[in-house]
Amino acid sequence: MTAQPDASSSAPDDLSLGIGKLVVPSLIGGLVALTLGIYGRLHHPTGVVVNIAGFTSAGYVKSWLATVATVFAVVQVSSALVMYGKIPRVTAPSWIGRLHQWSGRIAFLVAVPVAVDCLYGLGFQTYSTRVLIHSLLGCAFFGAFTVKMLILPKRGLPGWTLPLAGAVVFTILVGLWFTSAFWFFSTFGLHR
Amino acid sequence: MPLVTLLSGAALGVGVLVASMLSTSSTASASGTAATSPATATTTVTLPSASPASAAAPATAPTSAPASAPTSASATSPGTASNAAPGTAPAATASAQQADVPPKADYVAQVNGGGAAVAISVDAGKAVAYICNGHGVAAWYRGTAAAGGLHLAGKNGARLNVEYRTGRATGSIMADGTKYTFSAPVVGNVRPGRRRPGLYEATGVVDGVSVKAGWVVLPDGGQLGSVEYDPSSAVPPTAQAPALDLTTGTAQYDGITLVASLISGITGSGF
Repeated sequence: MTAQPDASSSAPDDLSLGIGKLVVPSLIGGLVALTLGIYGRLHHPTGVVVNIAGFTSAGYVKSWLATVATVFAVVQVSSALVMYGKIPRVTAPSWIGRLHQWSGRIAFLVAVPVAVDCLYGLGFQTYSTRVLIHSLLGCAFFGAFTVKMLILPKRGLPGWTLPLAGAVVFTILVGLWFTSAFWFFSTFGLHR
Repeated sequence: MPLVTLLSGAALGVGVLVASMLSTSSTASASGTAATSPATATTTVTLPSASPASAAAPATAPTSAPASAPTSASATSPGTASNAAPGTAPAATASAQQADVPPKADYVAQVNGGGAAVAISVDAGKAVAYICNGHGVAAWYRGTAAAGGLHLAGKNGARLNVEYRTGRATGSIMADGTKYTFSAPVVGNVRPGRRRPGLYEATGVVDGVSVKAGWVVLPDGGQLGSVEYDPSSAVPPTAQAPALDLTTGTAQYDGITLVASLISGITGSGF
């Protein structure tokens, strides 16, 4: 009854089965976000962060790293649009897949030290709207990214899941950038 | 492959976390020694080489071979005049790295990691300092400017420890239970027509309650300010300060006009 070979009747079952595959990745992603948030809230922020030579302060290091991650995230969205054929008169070159994979890896790996620095040095804070939004988005980002990575190799998912997951991750990252690096540069000045 | 990406990210995260913990514990122990040293630093005002010498000795000893450290120390000190020989070497490095008490200087910077700004003003042997994050954290510090470093105290165990370096004040600050580190450059000449970066203070009365606002105005014109209600209380409630108009030096707060003035180690009331 449920697994009919008939294509027309199996479509909704495929859909529900496909969505069922999202449950475990979503739970794991939620757990990641929750763990980061709880750690950031319970751990007493040290205020001490590692600085890198050549930068005025660690705030600039983090802001530039966040900017680099956001730039690579823009590459992510652009390459995904090309891959999905959403950009008129642009045919996907053979290396677009690699570009998408590596820009994503770099963006993620660049964002990780920033997040560790935030959670360890500053913690999950709520003292202003910007800080609250940033804290929430920061935890949500790694949850959403985990979900996207976990559903990536799964087959038989509805076609909209991966673009949606990617769009959520990108939107969160841009929100993070605006509530951190953009604010930081506009408050303290744009330099190293 | 996505799993590899996730796991390598997690591994990187753990690595950075461990590195941060290690650096925190080392700076914490360093500030621990600094926290115990104010007594010696203030009593030995005439000997700026005393604190760098004691600070340099434990720093170099563990890094150099244990065998060479005692031999070089014992070779110089018993043979020649016991105090002069070890005293000159650190003094030379001290003068290269650490300046004496500046007669008058302002230091302004955001703290490492951002999110808060600190201003220190030294004037004729008196020092006042302020840290705020533009929201709930604000702390004032006062004390005497001693050679080699500043060790100022604030309310509720708030502490500030600073070393003078060439054109900078570098150190750590405890405020609201959080430790911040910073390296603040001295405020230099200011272009005509621009308000001088530094520590600005204003007081007023709103609905019968006295308020005290402090702003750290940064060299690029950026500012962070906080307002304390009932500042004489033990733990004054603190909130974001209204923007300080840098052309008029005033700020509108709850229907009143706060008139801010640039304060120095002498004029600052502290806390």
